[in-house]
Amino acid sequence: MSLLSVNNLNIRFRTGDGYVHAVNDVSFDIAKGQKLAVVGESGSGKSQIAMSIMGLLANNAEAEGEVLYEGQNLLTLPSAKLNRIRAKDIGIIFQDPMSSLNPYMRIERQLGEVVEQHEGLSRSDARKRVLEVMEAVQIPDAKNRLTAYPHEFSGGMRQRIVIAMALICKPKLILADEPTTALDVTVQAQIMSLLDEIQRELGTAVMLITHDLGVVAGFCEDTLVLYGGRVMEAAPTLDLFDAPGHPYTRGLLRAVPNISDASASLAAIPGSPPNQTRAPVACPFAPRCVDAIPGCHQTLPELTGDRQQRACIRPVEELT
Amino acid sequence: MSTAKKQMNAPAYAEAAAEEMITSRSFWADARQRFLKNRMAVVSVLMLVLLVLFAIFGHSLAQWSYEEIDWNVLGKVKTEGGPTLANGHYFGVDELGRDLYARVVQGSQTSLLVGFLAGTASVILGSVLGATAGYFGGRTDQIIMGAYTIWLSIPYIIFFVVWQAFFGRSLTQMILVIILVNWTAGLLIVRGQVMMLKNREFVDAARMLGMSDFAIIFKHLMPNILWVIVIYTSIVIPEVIMMESLVSFLGVGIQEPNTSWGALISEGARTMTFGTLWQLAFPAAFFVIAQVSLYYIGDGLRDALDPKDR
Amino acid sequence: MLNYTLRRLFTVVPTLLVLIVFSFYLMRLAPGGPFTSEKPLPPSVMANVLERYGMDEPLHVQLWTYIKNIVFHFDFGPSFSQKDRTVNDVIAQGFPVTLTYGFWSAVFVLACGIPLGIIAALRHNSFWDYSMTGLAIFSQIFPNFVLAPIMVLLFTLSWGLLPGGGWNGGQWEYIIMPAVALGTSYMAGVARLTRGSFLEVMNSPFIRTARAKGLPERTIIIRHALKPALLPTLTYMGPVFVYMITGSVFIDVFFSTGGIGQDFIDGAYSRDYSMLLGLAILYSVLTFTLNLLLDLAYAWIDPKVRSKL
Repeated sequence: MSLLSVNNLNIRFRTGDGYVHAVNDVSFDIAKGQKLAVVGESGSGKSQIAMSIMGLLANNAEAEGEVLYEGQNLLTLPSAKLNRIRAKDIGIIFQDPMSSLNPYMRIERQLGEVVEQHEGLSRSDARKRVLEVMEAVQIPDAKNRLTAYPHEFSGGMRQRIVIAMALICKPKLILADEPTTALDVTVQAQIMSLLDEIQRELGTAVMLITHDLGVVAGFCEDTLVLYGGRVMEAAPTLDLFDAPGHPYTRGLLRAVPNISDASASLAAIPGSPPNQTRAPVACPFAPRCVDAIPGCHQTLPELTGDRQQRACIRPVEELT
Repeated sequence: MSTAKKQMNAPAYAEAAAEEMITSRSFWADARQRFLKNRMAVVSVLMLVLLVLFAIFGHSLAQWSYEEIDWNVLGKVKTEGGPTLANGHYFGVDELGRDLYARVVQGSQTSLLVGFLAGTASVILGSVLGATAGYFGGRTDQIIMGAYTIWLSIPYIIFFVVWQAFFGRSLTQMILVIILVNWTAGLLIVRGQVMMLKNREFVDAARMLGMSDFAIIFKHLMPNILWVIVIYTSIVIPEVIMMESLVSFLGVGIQEPNTSWGALISEGARTMTFGTLWQLAFPAAFFVIAQVSLYYIGDGLRDALDPKDR
Repeated sequence: MLNYTLRRLFTVVPTLLVLIVFSFYLMRLAPGGPFTSEKPLPPSVMANVLERYGMDEPLHVQLWTYIKNIVFHFDFGPSFSQKDRTVNDVIAQGFPVTLTYGFWSAVFVLACGIPLGIIAALRHNSFWDYSMTGLAIFSQIFPNFVLAPIMVLLFTLSWGLLPGGGWNGGQWEYIIMPAVALGTSYMAGVARLTRGSFLEVMNSPFIRTARAKGLPERTIIIRHALKPALLPTLTYMGPVFVYMITGSVFIDVFFSTGGIGQDFIDGAYSRDYSMLLGLAILYSVLTFTLNLLLDLAYAWIDPKVRSKL
């Protein structure tokens, strides 16, 4: 049985110019210990999926469908019950470590309050746990830095603290929302290997949200490709890289720099992201698709397939 | 400044400058349209126009002058000095039996005149200093900003009261001291705007063409930040009216028999114990109407000229 | 932090010196003086009086004596207009009065303004929110010198609930109206500002983090949102204190509290040089002290500022 099951999720935002349809009819499962990557350009609705799981959608958002966690629909769960799942069962790592830590609170308190809240620990027991988890995320000299404030740490160290915060209750699922985007390239690699190490140790399931296929390759078994708030392709990562089944995935892969072939130029996908003020009635990628046929602009392709699922009306063999 | 920019020729600069200018007709036309759509602001402008007309022409409707004492009601102010059409005292009489209507007209003249003249002049002074500080930077900026900080930390009333008490209390004196006290008006915001604009292409262009600093500030920078100055002036005018009223209330404002809203409110407040409430009500009502109108006009101007927030 | 406080104290000395010298010459060079009256004194009497107050000396010598007396004896000199009273006496009597209702006024501003702002923010776009915006506009239009008479009209003349003036040793009935009349418009300002900054903080990423931790909303507000939401309010209190000192002059005059504001205005009328100078120094020192306390409070809340002190 899967740990988390997202069924027909739709998220839209009320704005001054009407609704913006951010997520359209998205379904996927995450099993215990599974590592799933959700890939897409910015604005593809991938972060909003994580927010809806945590109940953190903005006030002007409306979510429909189901997000089942151990049989409970998180979308409709009263906040008192949701609070018992947040951080305890599902942890989240936010994109920007600069702004996601409270600048006016000592690190020890920011981490400690999580275990105090969920496990009823005393302050001194909480401190021990904080120290443990700070050492686990390899913050040097953790013991002396408990009382420091966020601004006294570097960006990479801050992201380690954010990770520590997500880990401190040993949750069953971690949502990592672009955990390395705001960091330097060298630090990015360190953070990803840290996440990998911890995931192996704890056996936590991870949903990694990223726009960077390079990050996905080494980390996740499965990948979900989003475009315009819809799933374009869902497949085991290796299959997807070997034989991308959707024109959009192909475009994305061509946009990843290849070290072995330095002469190859990076291919950019022409056109711009779709207008989401209307719910899609046809393939959202069709206007930018090199393989599009007239039918692409008229029908909404279903996600089909078994191991490698794709939402495209054209057979794989016909794609360029 | 990059070398690429230096190689550009003057006409190209001029073109860039033209593009940069937000002084274009469409900017102000758009702003006017936005302002006219704001019903509260338009009504407020009408109210204010009525007030100004009242201040200018009000005396011609009065049956008494503002300093003349009506001996018929003196001593019986409480019973016979109330507002009535019968004896021509539309707003009643004051404590000394002078026609309150004529005095309110006179007070409106003073308060509005002081408000608009001193308010505008202070903002001009503050803006020039702010532009100077922002444009030249360095030492000039340090000196002006240092004085600014010190000035803001001294309650203005100290300077105001001492000045008024020692140098007389004429209308010109009043306007002068308000400008002196308010020399910081708009300084900070104009300084910020100038600092932002001074590195833009059209300023570089003007410099390349050999324009003097003075000309750049007044011909190129000021028109571009005029909208900031307009918004700020609309905020300062009611503040100045309030300041004038406060010191008049304290008795160090305009010299009798001349008067202002603040002085009239002060007299009314002093005599309200005797039950002559109209002496407080009429001046207070005019003061409040002016403040409400100016508040909504300022609000409307801000929305019209700086629509980013909307 | 002690170091910072000392450094700040050090900068106040030149500021005060500038103020003293400037005011001294401004007053002395202006026409007229404390002993000019409609019926001029005979020259011999005048000379006598001037000598008694040390006014026969050249100006710079007088200034020097004045400063020396303050520094070495903490003596602000005799009052020129109030017979047999020194400026020290006047301050000792009037300042506690002004300070007392000023303190309660500040308490009123913060203790009402902050909760009102937070309630309005929590009930965003509700009846509470709109009434508070209304109150803020109202108080901008009704400054203390309009509000105070209206309050006296209602609470004293109509309902007879509170005394319309006086001090009576600082009984609470006598403090309420001065404190409220002085504070109302800043209370509304604080409420409006707190509302804005609270709304902004509640939308910030670190509050989202706190929510993701599964903390109850009340804990989030108290533990995470309150401090940052109050920072803009603290900054705003700097100018507010300056305005309140200005307003206190009016309150002292209108409510006849016996505070120093009345002495200041009287001093201006009677050209009481030493009184005006002494009170001007007092007002400036008060402003400076309040601003220093604010800065320290700011540093106490914001660790980034604290580490720079």
